[in-house]
Amino acid sequence: MLTVVTGAATGGPASAAAKKLPPYVVGVPMPMTGAEAQAGTQIFNAEKMAAALVNKHGGVLGHQIKLIEQDDACDAGTAVNAANLLVSKGVQAIVGGYCSGATLPVEPIIARAGIPYVMPAANSPELTTGGYRNVFLIDPSGSGDGAEAAKFFKQQNIAKVFIIDDQSSFGVAIADAAAKDVAAAGGTVVAGGVQSIPATSNDFSAVISQIKSSGATGIYWSGYFSQAAQFATQLNAAGLIGPSGTAKLVVADGSVDATYISGAGAAANGTYATIAALASGVGNVLNSKADRAFNVAYHKQFKSAPGPYSAFGYDAINALVLAAKHVKSIKPARVIAGLRTLHFNGLTGKVSFDKTGNRAGAVMDLLEVLNGKYTLANPQP
Amino acid sequence: MSLLLNEIGNGIFLGAFFGLVALGYSMVYGILRLINFAHGDFYMVAAFVSYTILGAVLVGHSHGQWFTVLWVGVVVMVITGGLAMLANQFVYRPMRRAAILSLMIAAIGLSQVLENGVLVTPQWGATYLVYPVTTPPSGFNLGSNHYTWGQLIIVLISGLLALGVYFLVGRTLLGKAMRAVSEDRIAAVLMGINVDLVIAIVFFIGGALAGAAAVMTGVYYGQINYLMGFTVGLEAFTAAVLGGIGNIGGAVLGGLILGIVQSIGTGIFGAEWAIVVAFGALVLMLWFRPTGLLGERVARRM
Repeated sequence: MLTVVTGAATGGPASAAAKKLPPYVVGVPMPMTGAEAQAGTQIFNAEKMAAALVNKHGGVLGHQIKLIEQDDACDAGTAVNAANLLVSKGVQAIVGGYCSGATLPVEPIIARAGIPYVMPAANSPELTTGGYRNVFLIDPSGSGDGAEAAKFFKQQNIAKVFIIDDQSSFGVAIADAAAKDVAAAGGTVVAGGVQSIPATSNDFSAVISQIKSSGATGIYWSGYFSQAAQFATQLNAAGLIGPSGTAKLVVADGSVDATYISGAGAAANGTYATIAALASGVGNVLNSKADRAFNVAYHKQFKSAPGPYSAFGYDAINALVLAAKHVKSIKPARVIAGLRTLHFNGLTGKVSFDKTGNRAGAVMDLLEVLNGKYTLANPQP
Repeated sequence: MSLLLNEIGNGIFLGAFFGLVALGYSMVYGILRLINFAHGDFYMVAAFVSYTILGAVLVGHSHGQWFTVLWVGVVVMVITGGLAMLANQFVYRPMRRAAILSLMIAAIGLSQVLENGVLVTPQWGATYLVYPVTTPPSGFNLGSNHYTWGQLIIVLISGLLALGVYFLVGRTLLGKAMRAVSEDRIAAVLMGINVDLVIAIVFFIGGALAGAAAVMTGVYYGQINYLMGFTVGLEAFTAAVLGGIGNIGGAVLGGLILGIVQSIGTGIFGAEWAIVVAFGALVLMLWFRPTGLLGERVARRM
């Protein structure tokens, strides 16, 4: 910066350099409407915070970050339109994606554009099996969810597990992985395999009757939080879970959200969830110094608490920025190369990626809801 | 066997909602030959209105305050009925001479207006809202199934409302006027029936029933969302067709059958097949009875 200022002051030919560099334009496809809008907004807010901080300190190699948001509505069709629009606007990177179902069909579009695609929260195991070299997942792949749940069921001596997903690409992929993990741990997936219910359904009574007749004592839900809350409420009313319940409910990370607890009320107590372990905190209760500072800053700016994936959005922007700084270029191909070798300490812990673009060294946490709050409940080996 | 009985019980409960919303579809169809695609969204708006009213009169998240919910329910029924009447007055009535297809497109447009209207309203918006009241889990066992008192009350209220409509249409002078307008609008005018008023009343009743269903959905399922009307609208429309669209008893019967078929489909084939089984049954039924179970032969009029 200093050299630029002196150049301008002397009025020499360097004055051209004083001209502001073009912005670094980053596309952010995220659910802004629909059932998942809340999570999408919480992540985008955190991305805005990260970008503002980078811009305040001179931007990325002098380029100010400009975020262009597009609603993907957690819907495959809308997401494809959003991605095409962003690419046609000439964005140099994509940092977005919460619903895997809205991210999968977008991957080939972003790959063809040849720009980096950093996903804060989408984490279906399928996302990194397409062989795309520009895809990077900040949230560890969901295949760990099922393994963690299977471990828990085994530790609780639960042999019969009822697995149900919401027919979304995230839900199905994780439910299938969980079924394999449960079988590998010596358990049985009852009802003839994984069950599915449409994501628009709010009545689980038919499924609950199925669970009862199957004699399952473990129930695994792989879907999103709004349906999870209704499922837990109805399981509780049916007497399957809760103080006198015979079964234990474990939900995958898509269901970890404050709305799950407020929606299910008392029925949420005693239910479990799996989620990628954060640096030092539990679910949305981050505890390290940096995390606390982040929480305070977020609260101050948006007048609400950050969501469970806000920190991932914050780290996603920083991953992109640090990769660009590392290779000293914002050229998309160079930034992709930079992301491959990136190592840094983010709000969500050490961030680096393996060959397929998955977050490396991911550790899963098991959470239990107690008195309306997520608490750490990792099963002891 | 017990699974089957349990699923029938679940289906009746589910069908009670379908039936109530289907009634509104069916009545409007019966009188205007219009499939009112905005009907599901009257239901959705009612859920949000009741959410706001209940939030204001009840403080905090509390269990089963039956009396309050009851009177709020009645108020919301009137409001939703009024909304449906307004929709008729400002959207459908000016188009009365237009082709029925134009009306249906207007209905889809109205549905979009209502959904996005709720979306941009402060305090409502795109997220899932947690309903301020829920039914307590206490209840009774039937077979190996547990039903809550709330469920029982919901089924009873639905049944009473449906019976009320049945008697209104079948046994009162107003009902006779409705049937006359449905059969031949011009002849009805010549007989001195205020056709516009009758149509407005039909919209009011349909809307009010959707309002009741919305409050009960909120109380039982505990969550509302601005897109909730679409799914329910589709299911209720299916129920109305299944029972014979235009027929009061048919709408309720169609709702119950749809609910039961979906639940049994889940119990036997698995949850992912529930909708396939339900729509498969609909296709089969329409094959043998194109007018629906209790349908009148009105197809030639379309």
